[in-house]
Amino acid sequence: MADDAALPVTDDSLREEVRAWLAANWTGPLQSEAERKAWVAKVIEARWAVPRWPTEWMGRGLSDAQARVVEREFAAVGAPGTGQDRTNLWANTLLAGGTQALKEKLIVPLLRGDVGMCLLYSEPGAGSDLAGVRTRADRQGDHFVVNGQKVWTSYAAAADYGMLIARTDWDVPKHRGISFFFLPMEQPGVEVRPLRQITGESQFNEVFFTDAVCPAENLLGELGQGWGVLQTALAYERSAMGEGARGPRSGVSEGPGEPLIALAREAGVLSDPLIRQEIARVIALKKLNALNTARAKADLKQGTTSALMSLGKLAMSRILHEEARVRTLILGAGSVLEGPDHPRAEDANFLTLNAYFTSIGGGTDQIQRNIIGERVLGLPKEPEVDRDIPFREVRTS
Amino acid sequence: MVSLPIEERLAFQGSMLRLLAERSTEADVRRVMETDAGYDPDVWKALAEIGAVGLLVDPEYGGAGAGPLELELVMEAVGAALLCSPLLTSGVLAAGLLQALGDAEANARLLPGIADGSRIATAALTGSAGTWTPDGVAVRARADGEAWGLEGQASFVTHGQIADVLLVAAVEADGISVFEVDPTAGGVAVKPLPVFDHTLRLAQISFEAAPARLVGKQHAGWNAVEEALGLARVALAGEQAGGGRRVLEFTVDYAKNRIQFGRSIGSYQAIKHMAADLLVESESATSAARHAAAQLAAGAPDAKSAVELAAFACADAFVKICADAIQMHGGIAFTWNHPAHLYLRRARADAQLFGAPAFHRERYVAELEAAHG
Repeated sequence: MADDAALPVTDDSLREEVRAWLAANWTGPLQSEAERKAWVAKVIEARWAVPRWPTEWMGRGLSDAQARVVEREFAAVGAPGTGQDRTNLWANTLLAGGTQALKEKLIVPLLRGDVGMCLLYSEPGAGSDLAGVRTRADRQGDHFVVNGQKVWTSYAAAADYGMLIARTDWDVPKHRGISFFFLPMEQPGVEVRPLRQITGESQFNEVFFTDAVCPAENLLGELGQGWGVLQTALAYERSAMGEGARGPRSGVSEGPGEPLIALAREAGVLSDPLIRQEIARVIALKKLNALNTARAKADLKQGTTSALMSLGKLAMSRILHEEARVRTLILGAGSVLEGPDHPRAEDANFLTLNAYFTSIGGGTDQIQRNIIGERVLGLPKEPEVDRDIPFREVRTS
Repeated sequence: MVSLPIEERLAFQGSMLRLLAERSTEADVRRVMETDAGYDPDVWKALAEIGAVGLLVDPEYGGAGAGPLELELVMEAVGAALLCSPLLTSGVLAAGLLQALGDAEANARLLPGIADGSRIATAALTGSAGTWTPDGVAVRARADGEAWGLEGQASFVTHGQIADVLLVAAVEADGISVFEVDPTAGGVAVKPLPVFDHTLRLAQISFEAAPARLVGKQHAGWNAVEEALGLARVALAGEQAGGGRRVLEFTVDYAKNRIQFGRSIGSYQAIKHMAADLLVESESATSAARHAAAQLAAGAPDAKSAVELAAFACADAFVKICADAIQMHGGIAFTWNHPAHLYLRRARADAQLFGAPAFHRERYVAELEAAHG
């Protein structure tokens, strides 16, 4: 089978094959979660879920261009389930660094979406400086014992496994003493506590480890090489982010067209020249970001890497903060209210606070500017005083 | 509108970049900007020979017959090199206006000379209010039998002092028409204006019973003016995007090489973060300018709003990049000999020409309102 799949595939023959398979199998749209699961299982079985992956792991070893052919055919009929080799953070990380035993156990369930996952990266003392993690994992026989605390973990309560970075060597510089694990979450040593955000919501948790146990086969990559595994995982995560910001939460629509124009019309201030200027600025920022993203995609298609890709998150932060500011400007005194009877104020206030989700989460704007300055513009890094000293000598707050 | 095949477009862009690299160096800009004419006639000839001056002119009249896409690319290069020339004035605004008016006789008489660079034409479209709107026109036209005479004043006329032909927007009865005027005729007084951007030439032109010839249809003038202004705004957006990108480039280079406290200043976050923000500005300006050119070339329904967006986004971006670049350089860029201020001067002029950013933001919102009912 592996030999068959390794034969050269032309775009045309591949397209024919996908089309024929979809024609024979796709009867969508899918009506329920059960139907969706059954369909995804079928797609995995037919090796369309991860066509870029090796044949050994449900893939076909296709090039990116050929995998795009598959994705286009799926998209053309509206069928989900392919392209997980781009989008499934968990499965891609596991494939890249996992042991044979762990892959055999979890790859297919992860592709099927049967395993709950969460991220165990940030700590109270390691936010922007993620390599400063102090959660420790100590080897004891065939397992590791984990102690410490993580924060900003979504879906922790429902997770079966967490992707964990923990320190396994305190005598080497910080980047070199970190290891990467799939930590089983359902055990007495793991305690999950919801964290209340400034919006009043609780999407995130704190996770505490007290002698939590992690089998040695759940180590990804070599011991002490976890920083490298993390970079792979972060790359998948970033490519999935960018579009992640949420809109207003009141659910009360401002009507068709540009939301800010509709809001200003409703508030009776659409003829105010100052407000019109501010509305134009915000809509322009959104449009410019969309144009940049479109240009980045065109660059990627031509095979050139694009500086534009890394600008999107920073641009999105500004858009969200500015949109919230202009909503507040439009509402005026009305923005001091809240509650279900004041959905517009509710939205403006929620968006004002939730804008920080993007400007702090996933790397603050300030870290993002460092990345753009250093990786895109080639400016030198700041000297790092903790880079080349053993981690146990690094100063902490 | 027309577009050239991509190979031709790239070849053309290549010859433009070579010409500018050789003939519009910083030393050239500094020399030419201090002359009365404000352009180098030899370089102008060379620009005409490679087809840049007649870029938009129909091949029937000796031009390249290209469109907004090619224009935008050319202007990115022009902006980066701070070229001193009446290219935008004659090759874009005046040529665009004539073609929009569609007067076969005037086109046959004027466009070949404009395309080959032997004739420089400009358009006088606004009075001293500088609004580039119909109510900003401060010239009146009076019919005298078959002939026309103009009264009043036009201002901010680009390269008015070197033009061989004036295309003047004037109010007559209850509409605006465009008239051709010989600047050397009696009743026409051309006064050069002192301009903060030394690479630009502006003039104020007074008309007293000045003999004029109607171009195109009566009262159809302002639609044609808007069409020409659309092209000019795309051209300016390209110039702003190209200029901004060049300024950011040399500023980042400087930040890498300038050492203070034993480190390159670009390693400090105070400088690095400004540079990152300017990259967003620069890339957004490029996206906006190219998008406007593409939508205009395709005759897309949103072409108008795309041009408005580019007009204010590129104007603001170019000014911000130049202004911050001076701050990031420190003292060296406070000297006359450093080029940063030349770009800031160009950016500030470009931001006002053919409508200020606030004007375009207002029109942008109006377009969006109209699009969504």
